[in-house]
Amino acid sequence: MRFVLLAGLAALGVAAPAAGQLGAATQAPPPEGVAAGQGAANPKGHYAALDALPDWGGVWFVIFQGRVPGAVPEAQPKLKGEYLARYEKWRAATAANNGVAARNRSNCSPPGLPRIMRLAQYPYEFIFAPGRVTIHQEAWMQTRTIWTDGRKHEEDPDPSFMGDSVGRWEGSTLVADTVGVSDALEIDTGIPHSAQFHLVERIHLDPADPNVLVDEMRMEDPLALAEPFEVTVKYRRDRYGKLLEFQCSENDRNPVDEHGDTGFN
Amino acid sequence: MIKRLFLLAPLVAAAPALAHHSYAMFDMNKTVVLNAQVTKFKWQNPHAFIEADAAVPGGASEHWAVEMTSPNNLAQEGWRRTSLRPGDKVKIYVHPLRTGARGGSYVGVEWPGGTHLGQTRS
Repeated sequence: MRFVLLAGLAALGVAAPAAGQLGAATQAPPPEGVAAGQGAANPKGHYAALDALPDWGGVWFVIFQGRVPGAVPEAQPKLKGEYLARYEKWRAATAANNGVAARNRSNCSPPGLPRIMRLAQYPYEFIFAPGRVTIHQEAWMQTRTIWTDGRKHEEDPDPSFMGDSVGRWEGSTLVADTVGVSDALEIDTGIPHSAQFHLVERIHLDPADPNVLVDEMRMEDPLALAEPFEVTVKYRRDRYGKLLEFQCSENDRNPVDEHGDTGFN
Repeated sequence: MIKRLFLLAPLVAAAPALAHHSYAMFDMNKTVVLNAQVTKFKWQNPHAFIEADAAVPGGASEHWAVEMTSPNNLAQEGWRRTSLRPGDKVKIYVHPLRTGARGGSYVGVEWPGGTHLGQTRS
């Protein structure tokens, strides 16, 4: 059977990938700013030093501050230029559709940064390892890495949902700097950004309550934002909680139709 | 007699911010109470679901799908994977779909005898 398939491919002139490309281990060089033998890829001997980092154990749920009557209105990014025009057009279209925003992709597609850090229903956990902080997110079972081994941003990172995050510890505060977030994603629903979107986060425990984690986010975008947008997200700790699986395609009851409307099955 | 009630006064209707999908499809200012028999309880992200047959005046029944929040959120409220089983008869409080289709967003569930989870009132 397999022979027949291969023979068929050959007959069609389809070249099979060379053996060296399939399954072969890659040999990436050390990232810029990290010497060979150092950094996150060489953790052994550096685990004890992690004990000096703050206690972020357990899982963390966003403290829902609510879009409820009487709540202080949330700060909104100040857009400019074509991004403002796109937002105004989106807002008009949404208003004309009973407040239901059209989606251009599946509800099983994650939002990426910065929105992935602001989800009310699904918790987060922070895993420390030498040279890196890994954030596991229950939502869409996403993984985010903040490299703390001194590396620089990639020169031309592939646009992605999580972008390219490098960070450093300033005392007990993790300062994370992110670029390379895809411009197909949004700052918030309907609020676009450019490929030059730049996010800086200062993540630390609340001095007033060690069971509250604070993420002070500052966003800049020379093309889309008229001024930096700052928003603070707070999380409360569930010390012995755990993340649950999130297999969206197994329970996708909200398909998006050709008009961008979310269905309900 | 099994009946379906429409409550005009809203319960607290806070739409979660930045959830898995927008809540604009639901009428969060309206709450419907279903006297229902559970046919399925799905305990899985991104949303748990209840499917149930709700009786309507005249003896017919309607099949409803009720979307809940995430299992992790529900667990904090006291829910478990085994909280509902097919055949259970309960009152389900929902914010209905704006389209009028038989679906809604979970508000609360009340068991015979008055045990409840979420927001309910009789």
